[in-house]
Amino acid sequence: MVLVLAIGDLHIPHRAADLPAKFKSMLVPGKIQHIICTGNLCIKEVHDYLKSLCPSLHITRGEYDEDSRYPETKTITIGQFKLGLCHGHQVVPWGDLDSLAMLQRQLDVDILVTGHTHQFKAYKHEAGVVINPGSATGAYSSVTYDVNPSFVLMDIDALRVVVYVYELIDGEVKVDKIDFKKTSTATI
Amino acid sequence: MSPAAPIEPKKKKNILPKASSSGDLSTERGDLENFRRFSDLRGVRWRIDLGILPSSSSTIDEFRRVTANCRRSYAALRRRLLISPPVSRDERNLRDLVMDNPLSLNPDSMWGQFFHKAELERMVDQDLSRLYPEHSSYFQAPERQGVLRRILLLWCIRHPNYGYRQGMHELLAPLLYVLQADLERLSEVRKLYRDYFTDNFDGLSFNVTDLSYSSDFENGEDARKDVVKVHNLNDLDPKTQTIISFSDAYGAEGELGIVLSEKFMEHDAYSMFDALMSGDDGAVAMASFYSHPPSPENGLPPVIEASSALYHLLSTVDLSLYSHLVELGVEPQYFALRWLRVLFGREFVLEDLLVIWDEIFALDNSKLNGGSKQEPEVTFRVLNSVRGAFISALAVSMILYLRSSLLATENATSCLQRLLNFPEDVNLGNLIKKAKSLMNLAIDAINSMLEPVFGGGPHGPGKLRGHRHSLSADQTAHVSPRRVVPESYWEEKWRVMNKEEDDRKQIGISKQVQNRIRGWSEKVKMRLSKVTRSSIRKNLVDDLMARSEENEKLVSGNEIETGRSSVASYSSVIGPEPEPEPEPEHEAEPGPGPCPSPSIASAMYRSTEDIFSPLPVSDTPEDLSFKEAKNEDITRKPATDLPDGTSPSGKFQWLWMLAKPGLDGPLDKSEASTSSVIAFNQKNAVPEVVDHNILKNLAQSMLENIEVIESVDNLSKNAMEALNELRKIRIILSEM
Repeated sequence: MVLVLAIGDLHIPHRAADLPAKFKSMLVPGKIQHIICTGNLCIKEVHDYLKSLCPSLHITRGEYDEDSRYPETKTITIGQFKLGLCHGHQVVPWGDLDSLAMLQRQLDVDILVTGHTHQFKAYKHEAGVVINPGSATGAYSSVTYDVNPSFVLMDIDALRVVVYVYELIDGEVKVDKIDFKKTSTATI
Repeated sequence: MSPAAPIEPKKKKNILPKASSSGDLSTERGDLENFRRFSDLRGVRWRIDLGILPSSSSTIDEFRRVTANCRRSYAALRRRLLISPPVSRDERNLRDLVMDNPLSLNPDSMWGQFFHKAELERMVDQDLSRLYPEHSSYFQAPERQGVLRRILLLWCIRHPNYGYRQGMHELLAPLLYVLQADLERLSEVRKLYRDYFTDNFDGLSFNVTDLSYSSDFENGEDARKDVVKVHNLNDLDPKTQTIISFSDAYGAEGELGIVLSEKFMEHDAYSMFDALMSGDDGAVAMASFYSHPPSPENGLPPVIEASSALYHLLSTVDLSLYSHLVELGVEPQYFALRWLRVLFGREFVLEDLLVIWDEIFALDNSKLNGGSKQEPEVTFRVLNSVRGAFISALAVSMILYLRSSLLATENATSCLQRLLNFPEDVNLGNLIKKAKSLMNLAIDAINSMLEPVFGGGPHGPGKLRGHRHSLSADQTAHVSPRRVVPESYWEEKWRVMNKEEDDRKQIGISKQVQNRIRGWSEKVKMRLSKVTRSSIRKNLVDDLMARSEENEKLVSGNEIETGRSSVASYSSVIGPEPEPEPEPEHEAEPGPGPCPSPSIASAMYRSTEDIFSPLPVSDTPEDLSFKEAKNEDITRKPATDLPDGTSPSGKFQWLWMLAKPGLDGPLDKSEASTSSVIAFNQKNAVPEVVDHNILKNLAQSMLENIEVIESVDNLSKNAMEALNELRKIRIILSEM
């Protein structure tokens, strides 16, 4: 029953002014236990805002982040799952599944969360799950054409994780859900 | 001494005699149906009283069946409501995800409910961790905390309009405690009468009478010896019998029907709690004290309503204390909130509380119908039952217990301190007895309430309500309901209260009191022998103008007057002339003392043929010897008169003026008492004698006089206030 918010690529203030209002109204403090952020916030104010939602905040460095102290990659253990975090601009080609899988094996995690492509993706392969929460503000990307604001909420419950995807399509929030189960000894 | 072991059986035994003695009191009410069976098994007794178990005359089987049903419903409830969202998510593929995601703002979504439950749980845990620290070994044990938490959570989920409020856990805790106490009793009985618990299949459990079973005679002997163990249940006294049969696992409904069961303690506690909160369709529902929205009848939250009912009863019983508290600004709900919400749980130690709850629960909770009133709506509905009457009577007797110290304090904070830290060493029996004696009054008070004349806060309408109420009550029914209280009651009350007063006040004050009594009698006499109406009116007006005391005291004074002097002697005295008679109430100075109205009233009672409403007396330190002299000569009056202008209350002045018919009223602005106003009201309040026409005339004349006064220049501020009061009174009058 641990709620983990995966969010990133906001690019505030350079490419976007703020989160969409509907997202902002949904993100209230008190419900979420962890926030993992792929990077490219870019300024401290956004960092403070995320911190106000939840004190447990994990960020990795994106190429436009103004705070250079964020790490390149991070691993977190929540419940039975190991989560890996990286911005994704380091992994070339950007958004390529095999390369990301390589990174996942390198970090030895069950769930890898990366960003940079501004596009929501959730892959499952035998080594684990790769999740891209997209861009929470729908900021411009040179890689992707149509960027919809999106973020991901993971509900981690013992050996099971439910991924809720929130996307803002045509001004409406659409929610989707994906279930992943982990067998006890093997990875997903 | 807080028990080291959870509950000591001895403690229960100490409570037992009290319980059974109070049980005797209730049987004295002559209700066969309700006799205190199971008075030693509090859990069972309370369950019967709260309506969960059938009445005491049912058979054991019926008990078991009802118990089993309650438990089943609780188990179903628990299964349904205490599951967490993820578990149930399996089936809902088609559920609308937009609504049901964790971040959904929709309160109906499963997640919304989940977060709401988590919030409730947090609040409950906060309270539970502080529950009964003096019995922490019992209440803080984790299993017990779990039980309490579940029960509270389930109840709050079931009743979402109340939510969880602080105090509910304190209502629940003693219920659990008594169930546990029953179990302890059961285990001690079990130890004593081990052989009667006939479910050991290992040992010999039936009589082997046929000696041919054993070839050997010695063996036969042994067999016979073993066999002797089987006893007949009927050999025991009935109480132990019931205890044993309550714990029988093979009776009706099997294990679910064991009335005294540890396994189902949670279920039983939940049913008791639910019944207590919902009032079981009776009048007193504890849950109403936690609700915030105002009740539809008079726009006040129920707890405020109940607190003002308390104060109303207090005003009937002890006007001086009531007015003192009102003067200091001590609103009833400051302390009554805690008293009522936790049903005095925070005022007494647990053992005492159990006795008190015995008494409260023993009383019937069905709604009382207002006696002779035609209006269907009854104010103070929230306490509108015998049980409610007892609760308010108990609260009032608690206040009266602290009377002396309350009257001594001069600011609201220390009054509240006193009220909120009720002393520990209180004689419970006395308190309960007093409460019982006040109960009749309380019932009458509740029965006789009408709709409030003016809306608004608890005090204003309460008092005015009572005023009009008493008026109409006495007018429509010549026999005031308050006559139920015998005169000796007031005598006794007066004696008790006067004793307290004397202990604490100086002689001077009591002298004052007696002075007043004397003065009054004289004045009344004087008045009787008197004069024209116009002069009365003139004087009346003077006094009204001059005095700037509150209106409320007037009205409450009236109430008390009608209450106490409803005896018919008024008619003889007052007869033809609607004379304003000054009220016992006030003193001009707030300082020295409580209004000795009770003493005055009882003094009045002493000479019943001579019931004059006591007149306000000035504080001349004069001889008390005239205390009894009700029928004294008018001439005495001048002798006792105060020097003009120096009389603190000025009431004497007024009376003095009355004695001199020729006085030119209106311009005399000496501080006469509002007593005149009171008197005026009082007069109107007089029961059988009131003549509507006369009242109307009086109102008219008052109006004329008001106009006259208004025309006078440079009126002082006091005069203006008095004028306003006059107007108000006129309005009241005209409405009657």
